[in-house]
Amino acid sequence: MGYVAVKGGQDAIENAIKLVDYFRWKGRTKPIELDQARTQMRLAVDRAMGEGSLYAPEHAALALLQVEGDSFEAAFHLRAYRATLERRYDAEILNTREMFVHRRISSTFRDIPGGQILGPTRDYSFRLLNPALLNASLGSIEKFLSDLRDEIDPNKLHEMTTYKKVIDIFLKEGLMSSQARPGEDRRVFDVTREAIKFPVPRSATLQMLARAETGALMCMAYSTMRGFGMAHGTVGELRVGEVPVRVVDKRGRLRCVGKIKVSEAEMVGGSGHGQGEGGGRAAKKTGAPRYSIGYGLCFGQNETKAICMGMVESALRNPNSDNPANNQEFVLYHTEVIEGYGFTNHLKLPHYVTFQAGMEGARRVARKNSDKAEQVTVSAGGVEENND
Amino acid sequence: MTADGICVRGIHPRANRLVRAPGLEKGTDSGMTANLVNRNSHETGELGLGPDYTLCECELEPLKQLVARLERASQVEVRKSPSVCLTMIPAEDSLEKQKFFLGEALTTECEVAVDGLPGFGLCLGDEPVRAYCIAVVDALLHGDRPAPIEVEAFLREQGEAVARRDQDEFDLVLQTQVDFKLMEEE
Repeated sequence: MGYVAVKGGQDAIENAIKLVDYFRWKGRTKPIELDQARTQMRLAVDRAMGEGSLYAPEHAALALLQVEGDSFEAAFHLRAYRATLERRYDAEILNTREMFVHRRISSTFRDIPGGQILGPTRDYSFRLLNPALLNASLGSIEKFLSDLRDEIDPNKLHEMTTYKKVIDIFLKEGLMSSQARPGEDRRVFDVTREAIKFPVPRSATLQMLARAETGALMCMAYSTMRGFGMAHGTVGELRVGEVPVRVVDKRGRLRCVGKIKVSEAEMVGGSGHGQGEGGGRAAKKTGAPRYSIGYGLCFGQNETKAICMGMVESALRNPNSDNPANNQEFVLYHTEVIEGYGFTNHLKLPHYVTFQAGMEGARRVARKNSDKAEQVTVSAGGVEENND
Repeated sequence: MTADGICVRGIHPRANRLVRAPGLEKGTDSGMTANLVNRNSHETGELGLGPDYTLCECELEPLKQLVARLERASQVEVRKSPSVCLTMIPAEDSLEKQKFFLGEALTTECEVAVDGLPGFGLCLGDEPVRAYCIAVVDALLHGDRPAPIEVEAFLREQGEAVARRDQDEFDLVLQTQVDFKLMEEE
């Protein structure tokens, strides 16, 4: 059966778009300004940038405003916008050791180089709704900011600094190796330029996880801890902060073009290499088991995503067809936000022809069965008659 | 942790790249310290922040005013109007140094000539005015003659303002540093 083109519905579509705006504005509430969305919904903005794979806070805020906060749609809009732009520069490799740290914690050691800095987090607060926000005003905000400054403990101050990493401790003790795993595909692959073919190099895995949908990634990471895997990575270090970006300009000079906020997680676990997940690769000299890290890095403050990326990345380096999270194709295809969202939502589009074809088949079978049943009844009736 | 064990992110003003700024020394390695220190950056006025970082991070209004004054004193020709483009940002895992592509960043670029000297402006975001201003300042900073005193003064002043802003925020961040105590000590 061929496809039949249909036409119509244009007016309905245009009116549907207007109706979206009607439901947005019917309460006649004050429009949210872009700056308000960017700063007061900053975690939603960060998430949209990560999943949209485009670092552009103003545009992410605009996308969120436009789609009324739908994170899938916001990522979709950013990816679409990105597709209209030319890539003219490749930055130097981001050096997260230069991070202007907002937050850094570790679950592996109490004392880490430079100390644990909680930074802006809700991790240690009760999840209780705060009605005080309903009464926030510019005056109360100014007062809060001023009070915060007054509360600064001068004993805790020092000049701006960068911090050593927790993995340095492992490296120093010989419990971690910075050598690449033998035989691993280390090609630098760009999934936005080339179609992927499984198995993909590690670089493609990291790139796809960095732009994956947060919830889907969490689902995969959670599954590895809950029984569909043997991993329980420990947060060696979780950092959130700003890192400078540099590019070489057309005159060949290295230029700083600003800084971006990122979340970085180094999930410590057994190297897994050669001994199955969770097992440590023994050091040649000492024979002691070695640790490795699952690496997570994403745009903005999205700690859940960075941690889950680290967990999943680690799982994917130890393939195991029994567990979804250890299956590269399963993870990478099903955490890709635009593919998943697009395919799911295509179900809402007309499937009249294909569905009708299926129904026609079902009716035909039903008719055939009904004819058969009638024949059986007739013949059964005949027997009865004969019996009579 | 004391000030002895700290470092700053430095951008050398002339080299126009992030390098160890003058005055930076190797830090002491006590296991709790960072790797570079700059004990006297503020005292000497050397903030370790270069012009690009300052120009990207400073308030736009004073930068516009500076460039407006420069425009009156020089012939500025726009060779390539400000336009947005993408910059791919590569990263690497911190242990095995596997390079990968993190994602792209929206970037604005602009090219000018100031009295015939080429200038190139680049900054993150959709910032046509800032990119233009950076290009003008870049032309004057990297031409074959000394940069105007006004530009040097602006960069010094704004560099200090940006450093102060960064430090102020860092002061707040430091208030959340954990001071662990063993239970028995309570």
